[in-house]
Amino acid sequence: MNKTLISLIIPVILLILWAILTTYTGIIPSYLIPSPSAVWTAFVNLLTNGSLITDTLSTLTRVILGFLIAALIAIPLGVIIGWSKLAQNLSNFIIGVLRPIPPIAWIPFAILWFGVGLGSAIFIIFLGSFFPILINTADGVRRTDKVYIESAYTMGASQLQILKKVYLPAALPNIITGLKVGIGIGLMCTVAAEMIGSDNGLGYLILTSTSMLDSASAIVGMLTIGIIGLGFEYFFRRSERKINW
Amino acid sequence: MTIKLNDVSKSFKSQEKELEVVKDINLTVEDGEFLSLLGPSGCGKTTILRMIAGLDFPSKGDLTENGSPVTGPSPGRGFVFQQYSLFPWRNVLDNIAFGPEVRGMEARERYESARNYIEMVGLTGFEDSYPHELSGGMKQRVAIARALANDPEALLMDEPFAALDVQTRHKLQEELVRIWQEEDKTIIFVTHNVDEAVFLADRVVVLSSSPGEIIKTFKIELERLRDRTSTQFIELKKEITDLVGR
Repeated sequence: MNKTLISLIIPVILLILWAILTTYTGIIPSYLIPSPSAVWTAFVNLLTNGSLITDTLSTLTRVILGFLIAALIAIPLGVIIGWSKLAQNLSNFIIGVLRPIPPIAWIPFAILWFGVGLGSAIFIIFLGSFFPILINTADGVRRTDKVYIESAYTMGASQLQILKKVYLPAALPNIITGLKVGIGIGLMCTVAAEMIGSDNGLGYLILTSTSMLDSASAIVGMLTIGIIGLGFEYFFRRSERKINW
Repeated sequence: MTIKLNDVSKSFKSQEKELEVVKDINLTVEDGEFLSLLGPSGCGKTTILRMIAGLDFPSKGDLTENGSPVTGPSPGRGFVFQQYSLFPWRNVLDNIAFGPEVRGMEARERYESARNYIEMVGLTGFEDSYPHELSGGMKQRVAIARALANDPEALLMDEPFAALDVQTRHKLQEELVRIWQEEDKTIIFVTHNVDEAVFLADRVVVLSSSPGEIIKTFKIELERLRDRTSTQFIELKKEITDLVGR
């Protein structure tokens, strides 16, 4: 059987169970979990009034901006940390302490530094994406096989050339893994990011619908985030496969 | 290129203990000579080669190339590693063109030269292949071409054929002799295989194990390509094998 078909088996079973437990038997009352049809109606409403598209686009913009800024800083920094023992020792402690802090905890500072709105949202997503990219890049550079470095030296390469032509390509698979994890975590931060001063976005949609007890619309927002995440995952997995060595 | 080792010793520190791996090596490798360093594993022969390459440094004594001290790696001393050292993210052509590339040769020129070396090692048609698509023997051919692409005066080879099956190894040995005859390089070839050393080298330097010291040097004057079944070849092999202690 086709792989795509197999991967759809469980979702379809869950959908059927969901329908049975809500619409057809009412075992689970609608204020706990809305029925599939209610979610469908909410989806059609949000689609036709255009707000789902706007929300998706604004969330995508924030996530991609936060992610790109994170990648732009984390990749060079990761290369330096992986390359230089001194840089690694200097940064070990600070990274160890900063990394476990949930991005949501930064919200007060995000507001102080970037004000209410887009800047803060991007900052929160940046924080989520930054560390996975940094750590995977550093790890990839550090694990570069010594024989590649030495053969480059014996062929006359300079330190800088080795950095560019050996460490960087050798670490590329790890860097892509870091980017994949990074954008995933960035996406997970959207609700937190859109708590501050946003008036659109999928996180905002989830927050406002929940506060108005419109759980069907909240589920539409949740599933949309999930599907975007799946899209990113697919994109990065394809890039990983392009590296065929 | 003349390479001179003068009372060279090398010890490594490990957990407070000093381990001497190479001791009092005096050796002159003449320009254009094919020299083999032969010894059991752990005799420090690779360490000697790495010091000549400038990848390691003597703890005592001095090491010179054409009269000047070796201070680090140089494209004039090409190195062929024992394990597969090809860049897996570069195809055959780009692997071979690496040296000329980092030394600033123009793309057209370096690819043209890389193609010549591909032809020399018999890999025409595999320019676009990636290392993982090649067999072990082909990979080592590329490694040799890559080291030659810098047009080094000396080629330092660290058991480059050790991982290959006998037929492939013999084939590559023959080709190496042909390349050496055509290209006029100094070759220092490290091996633990007596047959290989006798087949290839002008001079076989036999080392003892830990610490590695020179026991004896054999000059081999058999004509090339050498016949493995000739009496002289077999006798030489036997004499050296007895010395190495199997």
